[in-house]
Amino acid sequence: MVTTISRPETPQVMPDTVKLPAPTAWPIILAFGIALLFAGLVTSASVSILGAILFVTGCVGWFRDVLPHEKEETVEVKPEVTVIATSRREVERLPIAPDLPRALLPLETYPVSAGIKGGLAGSVAMAVLACLYGFLKQRSIWYPINLLAATGYAQSLKIGTAWLDGFHLGSFSLALAIHLFTSLLVGLLYGAMLPMFPRRPIFLGGIVAPILWTGLLHSILGLINPLLDERIDWPWFIASQFAFGIVAGLVVARLAPVRTRQLVPFLMRAGIEAPGWTKEKPGKDEPR
Amino acid sequence: MASETLALDTIAQGTRPIADRLHAWVVTVDHKRLGILYIIYGLVFLVIGGIEATIIRIQLIVPHNHFVSPQVFNRMFTMHGTTMIFFVIMPILFGFGTYLIPLAIGTRDMAFPRLNAFSFWLTAFGGALLYFSFIGGNGLYGAGNAPDVGWFAYAPLTSRAFSPGHSTDFWTLGLLVSGFGSIGTAVNFVTTILCMRCPGMTLGKMPLLAWLNLIMGGMVILAISPLTAAQIMLSIDRYLGGHFFDTQAGGSAVLWMHFFWIFGHPEVYILVIPAFAFASEIIPVFSRKPIFGYPVMVAATICIGFISFSVWAHHMFTVGMSSYGNTFFTMTTMIIAVPTGIKIFNWIGTMWGGKIQFKAPMLFCIGFLFQFLIAGLTGIMLGASPFNWQLGNSYFVVAHFHYVIVGAILFTIFGAFYYWFPKMSGRMYSETLAKWHFWLFFIGFHLTFDFMHIPGILGMPRRIYTYEPGRGWEIWNLIVTVGVIFQIAGVLVFVFNVLRSLVKGGTAGNDPWDAWTLEWSTSSPPPEYNFAKIPAVRSRRPLWDIKHPEDPDWKYE
Repeated sequence: MVTTISRPETPQVMPDTVKLPAPTAWPIILAFGIALLFAGLVTSASVSILGAILFVTGCVGWFRDVLPHEKEETVEVKPEVTVIATSRREVERLPIAPDLPRALLPLETYPVSAGIKGGLAGSVAMAVLACLYGFLKQRSIWYPINLLAATGYAQSLKIGTAWLDGFHLGSFSLALAIHLFTSLLVGLLYGAMLPMFPRRPIFLGGIVAPILWTGLLHSILGLINPLLDERIDWPWFIASQFAFGIVAGLVVARLAPVRTRQLVPFLMRAGIEAPGWTKEKPGKDEPR
Repeated sequence: MASETLALDTIAQGTRPIADRLHAWVVTVDHKRLGILYIIYGLVFLVIGGIEATIIRIQLIVPHNHFVSPQVFNRMFTMHGTTMIFFVIMPILFGFGTYLIPLAIGTRDMAFPRLNAFSFWLTAFGGALLYFSFIGGNGLYGAGNAPDVGWFAYAPLTSRAFSPGHSTDFWTLGLLVSGFGSIGTAVNFVTTILCMRCPGMTLGKMPLLAWLNLIMGGMVILAISPLTAAQIMLSIDRYLGGHFFDTQAGGSAVLWMHFFWIFGHPEVYILVIPAFAFASEIIPVFSRKPIFGYPVMVAATICIGFISFSVWAHHMFTVGMSSYGNTFFTMTTMIIAVPTGIKIFNWIGTMWGGKIQFKAPMLFCIGFLFQFLIAGLTGIMLGASPFNWQLGNSYFVVAHFHYVIVGAILFTIFGAFYYWFPKMSGRMYSETLAKWHFWLFFIGFHLTFDFMHIPGILGMPRRIYTYEPGRGWEIWNLIVTVGVIFQIAGVLVFVFNVLRSLVKGGTAGNDPWDAWTLEWSTSSPPPEYNFAKIPAVRSRRPLWDIKHPEDPDWKYE
């Protein structure tokens, strides 16, 4: 059943009359004059002359309407009791937290920096697994590193297996930069997604993120790194993605969550200490 | 009597001579009456523009049709486009803004009430001037001849060699005059919103309706000016020997395109941002939740406002710009999808977990959400210059922008109409008829504009008078025209519903939707002075605070 709760506004002292701008014909006369002024350009000069007369009359009339004092009319205020009512059903509220009538969920989450730390830790796990793959499958830990670096080579498909197995400083530096940069970005994205799943960071990092990331790479790898796409070993690749995610999730889970602070002003959330700007919030029953 | 209400005016003042009653409307400076005048004016032109669209569709229903002559066909699509943009959508949106902004921000009138009246009458006479071309297009001495240069009137079609007589001049002057009116309205919006908010209503506590109209007002001031300048330059070309757009004498036809579209694309956002405002007011109320991500909604709209001034030349990909130009305008067009997408997510976020009430205003807004999404996706497709080279100036483009103008803007206008009709008239409309209106219009819209994409992909150019059979276009054109029948039926139901409700509708009360913004705190229709005592607010939902003193919003904002 719908309960209507009527809350008559607190009786206020209403004025008996209100002053409003008086109705006037000068705006329409001026507008008509302008329209005729232009219409005369393509009809007849007499139309423009009439328009000019109306234009001048309209301007003069308008000025006299507002100068020296604006013409106003006095309007009587109709006495009425305004009832502000709601048709919401009145319900009993569970006393979860007396000082927190509205739930601001999640109450706690991990900061974005936790995602970045997780990303960096995951990058180490991924690198170890990738090197292990290179050692076991190709007898060279440089093989996956050179494959990754091929993102930066214009003619990557012309590179042979012998070259991929060797150490090249330039290639190593490039792979390291790509790996660290990507891991940081993925960690940042992970951190941004954490508030959505604050209670299950390992599930998010270890399952959801690797699936999304692998799917994304599967669709675009041919464009960004054709050599890697040609030689990739998908089971190992997917395993390294999961290693990244699980380690990142474990690192995040070990960090302490922080309270969400939706109600805190932007300046405080941004860490700016400006006493003149960041006013103390009034108490909960105190009007602002 | 001073506190007589607007809609009931007509009933209560039945004893007054009709001339007196009309006079009261003509000399009014009351923002509510002017808002209603804008809306009625727009609805009249909606019917006229709709008739022109119907003539176009009947002509294209079968191949080799000769329902109208090629000359009349050209006039119809020119007048249809011009009418719908400048004399239907803009006036209706201005009308809602004029009516609602003072109520929403808790003031008694606009900042410049006389300028408000002046702006409306300029818009009205601008439209009259445009339509006078039907009898005066060749000068008063010749046969009638309306403009036939398309709604964006590219040079050199507008030169005197290709457009003799005065039809193009009426188009130019009509838009010039109404453009002055638009600038006046925009100045009024911006000033009112910035200077006349009630106590406590900081910018961060302003309803989104006011925020978005503020942004729209700023855009109108910036965007109409290039169009006005171009219209004056065109008149100089035609009558004073100027050569701005005369390629034979060192002018540039492409210059006109730049001038037109630097107005034209922001204009799309000028039209759609108030539609966003309607959705941002209606969706929370019928989802029974506050708007999701208020600051982000404001920020996204400001971004849209800025970026929309940097995308205009995506209308000109087929002209043959440099690769740098193509790349820049492709990228900016893609970028504008980001804040637009944010807004769509926020509306969905507002509905998510809400207790949704599927009343007519909400139905139209849900329709808007999905249709605007599709319009945005086809917009991104057309924003990619290689794709545009294939489908530019085809019916695919026509379908895309009708998805924006009809599927997004007109749908929210109908939603806004049903939402604020009880406030404006004091009467409730028939929900059953409103739902008939929605479903008929929804089906008609999709029959027409979904299937209009296909002949475009098959190569049917826009503005084509007729076509050869056997190109695979016949069935699609037939379906498209059948959809128009449904749309007409929907609009007829709407008109009947409005007229019937004005006479027989139940009393609305001041707050029929259990809403939260200030306009619902005053009687329906509001008294001349809006508020006997200027309200003071403490949150974005002042009525919620009053209705729920145990849990007011101001504790959390």
